Amino acid sequence: MNLAFTLPALLVIPLIAVVLIALGSRPKATALWASIFNFIPGGLASGVVWRSGELLFGPEPIPVREVFPAKFILGMDGLSLSMVWLTLLVILTAIGSARVGIKREKEYFICLLLIGLGALGAFLSVDLFYFFTFHEVALIPTFLLVGMWGHGDRAGAAWRMTVYLMLGSMVLLVGLIGLYLALPETARSLDWRVLAATLRANPLAPGIQTLVAALLLIGFGALVSLVPFHSWAPGGYASAPAPAAMLHAGVLKKFGLYGLMRVALPMTPDGWREIGWIVGLLLAGNILYLGLASLQQRDFRWLLGFSSAMHMGTVFLGLISGTVLGLAGALTLMVGHGLSAALGFAVAGEISRRTGTSWMRDLGGLAQRTPQLWFYLMIAAMASIGLPGLANFAGEIMIFFGAWTTHPVLVGVAAWGVVLSAVAMLRAVRAIAFGPMSQAVEAEGVSDLQGVRETWPFAVLTLALLVVGIMPIVVYGPARPVLERLLVP
Amino acid sequence: MSAWFSLEILLTLAGVGLILIDSLAPEGIRRRTPLLALLASIGILGWSLYPESRTLPTSWLNLFVSDGLSAVFKPFFLLCLVLVIGMASRYRLEADETVRGEFLALPFFPTAGLCLLASARDFLAVFVALELVSISLYLLAAFHRAKPASLEAGIKLLVMGGLSTGFLVMGIAWLYAGAGTTEFSKLLLSQAGQGANPAVLVAAGLILAGIGFKVAAVPFHAWAPDVYEGSPTPVTAYLAVASKAAGFILLIRVFGIGAFALESVGEFFRPILLTLGIATVTLGTLAALPQRDLKRLLAYSGIAHAGFMILALGTRGEGGIGTVVAYLWAYLLASLPVLLFINELERLHGSTDMRHLDGMGRREPGPSLGFSLCLLSMAGLPPLVGFPVKLAVLANLWSAGETPALVVAVIMAVAGLGIYLTPIRVMYWEREADAIPARRFPPFLIWVMLAAGLLNVWLGLQPQILVRLAEKSLNPLPVAEAIRE
Repeated sequence: MNLAFTLPALLVIPLIAVVLIALGSRPKATALWASIFNFIPGGLASGVVWRSGELLFGPEPIPVREVFPAKFILGMDGLSLSMVWLTLLVILTAIGSARVGIKREKEYFICLLLIGLGALGAFLSVDLFYFFTFHEVALIPTFLLVGMWGHGDRAGAAWRMTVYLMLGSMVLLVGLIGLYLALPETARSLDWRVLAATLRANPLAPGIQTLVAALLLIGFGALVSLVPFHSWAPGGYASAPAPAAMLHAGVLKKFGLYGLMRVALPMTPDGWREIGWIVGLLLAGNILYLGLASLQQRDFRWLLGFSSAMHMGTVFLGLISGTVLGLAGALTLMVGHGLSAALGFAVAGEISRRTGTSWMRDLGGLAQRTPQLWFYLMIAAMASIGLPGLANFAGEIMIFFGAWTTHPVLVGVAAWGVVLSAVAMLRAVRAIAFGPMSQAVEAEGVSDLQGVRETWPFAVLTLALLVVGIMPIVVYGPARPVLERLLVP
Repeated sequence: MSAWFSLEILLTLAGVGLILIDSLAPEGIRRRTPLLALLASIGILGWSLYPESRTLPTSWLNLFVSDGLSAVFKPFFLLCLVLVIGMASRYRLEADETVRGEFLALPFFPTAGLCLLASARDFLAVFVALELVSISLYLLAAFHRAKPASLEAGIKLLVMGGLSTGFLVMGIAWLYAGAGTTEFSKLLLSQAGQGANPAVLVAAGLILAGIGFKVAAVPFHAWAPDVYEGSPTPVTAYLAVASKAAGFILLIRVFGIGAFALESVGEFFRPILLTLGIATVTLGTLAALPQRDLKRLLAYSGIAHAGFMILALGTRGEGGIGTVVAYLWAYLLASLPVLLFINELERLHGSTDMRHLDGMGRREPGPSLGFSLCLLSMAGLPPLVGFPVKLAVLANLWSAGETPALVVAVIMAVAGLGIYLTPIRVMYWEREADAIPARRFPPFLIWVMLAAGLLNVWLGLQPQILVRLAEKSLNPLPVAEAIRE
């Protein structure tokens, strides 16, 4: 049986939910059912990928040359497999933990679904035009979510986030244009499978290759909050409503890393090696500078924002490691970080919703009052620190081993990152969860998570973190042949 | 025989007929003038899709030509006409209600002029066609006599239009002095293989300035914001889309493929066009950012769009010309619905200030969604139709190696997002404290705006359609045909 239809189905189901909600269906229930149903095509497609390594939907490449070569082709291989699963899980839990009864509920859930749709589409696209397009679909819903339902300086955060992401996207676009036009006219294609094969056989000239790789690094880097293009991230995530922060930090940010793996690494390998030292400097900036900055945070959501941006540095280390182990580690850490960031922002959202504050000074003694919330807070913090058994540890250790032979100094820097992140997180946990109960926590009406209805999103994320942490092979196993191909000179 | 049914003749007849009906027919029929005007324009639009409609009378053939470019742009102008007539029939004329018939009949005349312009192959024809357009537009801009701003707009357009015509005529005179002919193809032949003739260069510069006024390119842009703001909204739409497109057709004809496309002249003007484009795109974008009046905002945004198109033309390639053709269609599809929405907004609230949008996202979800999609399309965001054309501009600049222009275009495309997100922010974010007025949009607007939004999305995902249009416009290349003769 041909299961190719499952790929468009993954995009159509959320789209149908958007239309239904717009027409007046109950927002949360519809969105939730859509994200549950999406596991059916997701599961079927993954089955095929597990067995045969690849699943494609869309027109086969025709030799006829068209002026505008974009074709709507969806595909899933071992690399997109884990990204799609991450997206499905985070959409499900973000919608599951979203509040009902807020203002403009309809638009709220539509925006959340559209962010998820954009991410899924980007991870499934084989054609670079649609790859880029789907990512941009998420831009405006993010702007609206932060601006309409955010906290604190929501207007400033929304503008900063949108302008940075747009700037990153445009630089990325110029890089992609450059890549496309650098090819000889007969070999031009936007299909990354064709592109990668062409460029492996006939690499670009060194100068143009370095230029394109640099543009891609800046473009994708701005989307991933690589220093010095990071300043949108902490504030944006701190201001965003919890489900939006979960989706953005958990999933959408991985678009940039995924893009680097898909495009920059296999298509401009020499250019990527050429600018490797710049990437090294920048990622050290991510780890040390943002790590130190995260020590100074007084607001738990800002702390999470900084720590989320900081961990991107470690993933970049995996990307420049030049070994399959390092890349596999980067992929595992992408998944692990996605899950743990989603869990962290969900917990932060619950804490500030229940106590009315996310200032660590005003919190304290949460462990006594709300033991369940405390438990998930600990899981999120431990995952972020890199406790063995949780997904982030598996990713980090693979990156360290993979990068040791090529970049020993940077591995040392990244190890300091683990220390910094441990200090920041443990201090946060102490301030929030232990000590005497603060006024905000003691106040009447502060309640724990109630029953399965409120805990399941947290439980799902925790379970996923444990599964990937104990058996990271579920992530890098199917991706391994793809990653090996990325490194073939 | 079929030449008598050419679009220009039908348009003129329709315009005259509407004026006659409006002044002579009994009251019962007179009340139906808006419907008649709309039907007439739709009928002519439908007819324009048949190639027979573009057959010209044989006696015109040394001034006009029927080629791919005119085939692509005559329906463009007629589509503008249909939407402008639709808007004009709903525009609130207040004290001038009695003359609505004329308001509906007048747009037919500049449209006839634009259709002529689209096929012009001689500067004399260009001049006559442009005057027909300009004079009708002076009247239309000042039509809302009860409103001082409208009169001011009319005067400004008249003065600046006169200045522009002056540049153009001066240029044509120099051209005749320098090359001895005003016909595009003969110019091309007489200049081919020679070095640049200084008289021709002066002529080309003057003509460029004349066209610069039409497309509102910096430094000839100063009239646009005031005139756009003061004119009745349907006229603003006409100026913003049809009149601007006419300027670009001229640019394509004379600088892209025609008279001044030769190596000697073209290479001289390449840096000039690029500088003009950089200045236009920068000023348009930056000046649009703080605007609070929607029509003014669109005026500056239109300047920015003109800048992008000039940059594409400045690369001097076939790709650049095709890009401009596709860009104009994308611009039409995004900006006319926006202006339609503004027209209805003005009808309800009496002004086009952005504060009337406050909380619109909640009050009118359908039209607001369509409006937002069209605005985002103008911003050039995927998956909307504005994206592939902006992509094409950037790609052309890259392949021409114009790095400074490319950098400016990228920065301005990012800054431009701010222009179009501002109304969206007002519609969706702002407090909804202002008592929700009982005044509601008419139901048809929901469907029109949603359809427009979906069309923008669909074409954004299927840009091949625009590419084919652009290819058609250059096929056969009018120059090649001219050389063959």
